[in-house]
Amino acid sequence: MKCSGEKIKNLQSYMKRKGLDACAVTDLDGVNFFSDFTFSGQGDAYLLITRKKAYCFTKQMYAADLKKKTPYLSLVGSLACEDIVKKARSLKAANCVFDAAATGYLAGKLFYKNGFKEAPGLIAEVKEVKTPLEIKRIRKACSISAKAYDIFREKLKAGISEIEAASLLEGIMTDLGGQGLAFTTIMAFGENSANPHHINSSRKLKEGEIVLMDYGCKYGGYCSDITRTFWFGKKPSAEFVKIFDIVKAAHDEALKNVKSGSAAGAAHKRVCEFFDKNGKLAKYFIHGLGHSLGTAIHEEPYLNARSAKTLGTGNIVTVEPGLYFEGKFGVRYENTVLITDKSVKILTKQ
Amino acid sequence: MPKLDADKLALIRKNIKKQGLDAFILSDYHDVKYLMGSIFNPGEVIMLIHSKGVYLTGRSLYEAPLTADFPEIKVEGCDVDRELRVVQTVRKMKLKKVGFDGLKETYHAGKIYEEAGFLNREKFLTPVRAGKTAAELKIMKDSAKILYKAYRHMLAWLEPGVTEKQAAEELESFMRKNGASGTSFKTIVAFGPNAANPHYITGRTKLKKNMPVLMDYGCVYKDYCSDITRTFWFGDTPSEEFIKIFSIVKAAHDEVVKKARCGQSGAEIDSIARNYIQAAGYGKYFTHRTGHGIGMQIHEDACLSQDNTSMPIKENYCFSVEPGIYIPGRIGVRYEDCFYMTKNGIKQIK
Repeated sequence: MKCSGEKIKNLQSYMKRKGLDACAVTDLDGVNFFSDFTFSGQGDAYLLITRKKAYCFTKQMYAADLKKKTPYLSLVGSLACEDIVKKARSLKAANCVFDAAATGYLAGKLFYKNGFKEAPGLIAEVKEVKTPLEIKRIRKACSISAKAYDIFREKLKAGISEIEAASLLEGIMTDLGGQGLAFTTIMAFGENSANPHHINSSRKLKEGEIVLMDYGCKYGGYCSDITRTFWFGKKPSAEFVKIFDIVKAAHDEALKNVKSGSAAGAAHKRVCEFFDKNGKLAKYFIHGLGHSLGTAIHEEPYLNARSAKTLGTGNIVTVEPGLYFEGKFGVRYENTVLITDKSVKILTKQ
Repeated sequence: MPKLDADKLALIRKNIKKQGLDAFILSDYHDVKYLMGSIFNPGEVIMLIHSKGVYLTGRSLYEAPLTADFPEIKVEGCDVDRELRVVQTVRKMKLKKVGFDGLKETYHAGKIYEEAGFLNREKFLTPVRAGKTAAELKIMKDSAKILYKAYRHMLAWLEPGVTEKQAAEELESFMRKNGASGTSFKTIVAFGPNAANPHYITGRTKLKKNMPVLMDYGCVYKDYCSDITRTFWFGDTPSEEFIKIFSIVKAAHDEVVKKARCGQSGAEIDSIARNYIQAAGYGKYFTHRTGHGIGMQIHEDACLSQDNTSMPIKENYCFSVEPGIYIPGRIGVRYEDCFYMTKNGIKQIK
C-alpha cells in the first residue's frame, strides 16, 4: 500500500492556524496515523511535527523501509521522549504541544515538565477532515461490507447461532478482501434486536424473525460501518414492516440534513422530530444519529444531541437511526456517508 | 458467549493483594478483552477490580446488555468523564490504595488518577497475562495446530510460477477454512534472497525451482494468536550455503529448547541462541531478538531479548523461539515455534 504525507500536511496547516510550532505524537495510533506507516508496537516510533518538517524517532529495523516509503519523514536514530524534547529545543520551537487525550501518562508528564502544553483533542480534530487517500480506503472498506450483506443473506440458514452467524459474516468480508474487523460485530436475532448493543449469544435463528446486524471491516487501516435489519422468513410481521419503513424514512430524511454547513446536533434533533411526527416514537430512539469513523470506529464529529460541531466537506459519518422496543424488537438502518461540497454520498450502498 | 473469566479474575486479585493494593483500574482495550472477551471497542469502558467484586463504567448503551449478561459486575453507564466517575466510585466504596498502569493510561486520565491519590503501578498486568491458564493453553494449542496443518498444505500446494502474494493468500484462506478467524499478523512469504530482510513485505516475486522459501505466519483462533516460521528449499538439491545456514539456525533453536529453564530472564534465554550463532561465526547476521511473548496479542511482554533482564520467564509463560541468520542481498533463514515454560524446561505449543 502506498503511503502518503497528506495527513501531516493537514496537521501542519492546523498548527499554523493555531500558532503552534511543534507537536509531539507518541501513541502508536497517532504515530501510525500521521506517518501513514504501520509500526507494530507502542514505543516503536515517535513523531515530532513542526510547521515544516516531520521528525520520526524510531528503531533501526524500520529505517530501510521508511526511507523507501515515507520520504516525508526525517528519520532520527534515537527513541526516547527525552530526545523529542531535545530536538524541539534545538529547533528553537517555542510553542510546543502534545495531545493529552492521546499521549501516554508518563510521556505526557515528561513533556509537561519541559514546557510543552496540553492540547486535548487536537488529533481528533485534525482527523475530522479526510484526505483523498483516506476516502479511497474507507470507500473500499465500505464496499466490502455492503457486498458481504448479499452473500451472507444467501448463506444464512435457520438453526445458526448469533455467534456462528457473526463469524460467517466476518469470514465473507475477509474473503472479499477485508483486513480485519472495524469493531465487534453485533448479530441480534428476534427480541435481542431490541438492544442496540446486544452481546452475541448462542441463541439460534428461527424461521420468521428479525435479524439485526451491525458490522464493518477494515481496509488499509480504515473502518467501515453498516447496519441492516431484515426479516428472516417469508412474511414479515406487520409491526416489523411498519417500524422498518419509519426507520428507513428517518434515515432518508436525515441525509437531507447531513451536509456541508449543517450543525451535527441539529441533524440528530431533526430525526427525533421526525420520529415524533410519526407516532410519537422519539423516546424509542435511544442513541445518537451517528459518528465519524476513520482509523478508529468512533471519531469526531458525533451526530448527537450534545454535539456542537458543524459538518463540512471531507467528513465521513454514519447515519444510523433506530427504534427499540424493550423485550420485543428493534430496527436500525445505517450507512456510512461522505459529505462533499454539494452532496452526500452513501459509501455502503449495495 | 463472553463471560468474566473467573480464573483470570482470581489471578488479578492475587496480584492486587501481592502489590499491597485494594483495587486496580483496567481500561486498556486488550486488558479488558483479556478478562471479558470481545465485546467493546477501544476506550469504551473502565473497570475497577477490587477484593469484593468488579465495577465497570462504560457507554450507557452497554448498561442493559451487560447487566443482563454479567450479573457479577456492577455496571454504570457514563458517556462523559468516565475517569471522574471511577474516582467517585472509589470514594464511595472507601477504597484506599487504588492502582493504575501509567504506561497504559493517557496523560489526561493518569493526571486525574494521580490527583485522586491513586498509585502508578506500571506493567501490573504483565506477569498475570504472561502466565497462561489451562483454558488459555488449550486454545493456544488449537490455534497452533492450524499452522502445522497449513504448513503441510503449502508444501504440496507450491509450484513454480506462483507469486509470494498468491502463496500468502492461499495460506490465509487455508487457515480460515480450518477454523481461524483471521491472521495474527501480516503473513510474510519471501522467495529467494527476499528472505534476507527479516521484516520483508510479501511482494510479487515468482517462485522458481531451486530457491529457498521463508514463510512466517500465524492465525487468531478463539481470540488467541499463534506464530510459526519455516524456511525450506524449494527444488531438488539445496545449495551448500543454505544447508549450512539452516543447520546453524535450527541447532540454535534446538539449543534453546534443550537449555532454557524456568526462572531464567528473557536475556539469559536469548543468549543461548545468540551465543550459539556467534560461535558458529554468524553473530552479526542474527539481527533481532530470539523471541516474544504471545497470547491474545501477537507480541506480549515475555520477550526473549537482551534488554529483558528484569522479567524472569516463569511457569506457563508463552513465547516464540525464532532465531535467524540474514545475509543482506543473499539469503535469510528463520526457524520458529512457540513454547510454554514448565518446571522442567520449555514445551512446544502444539
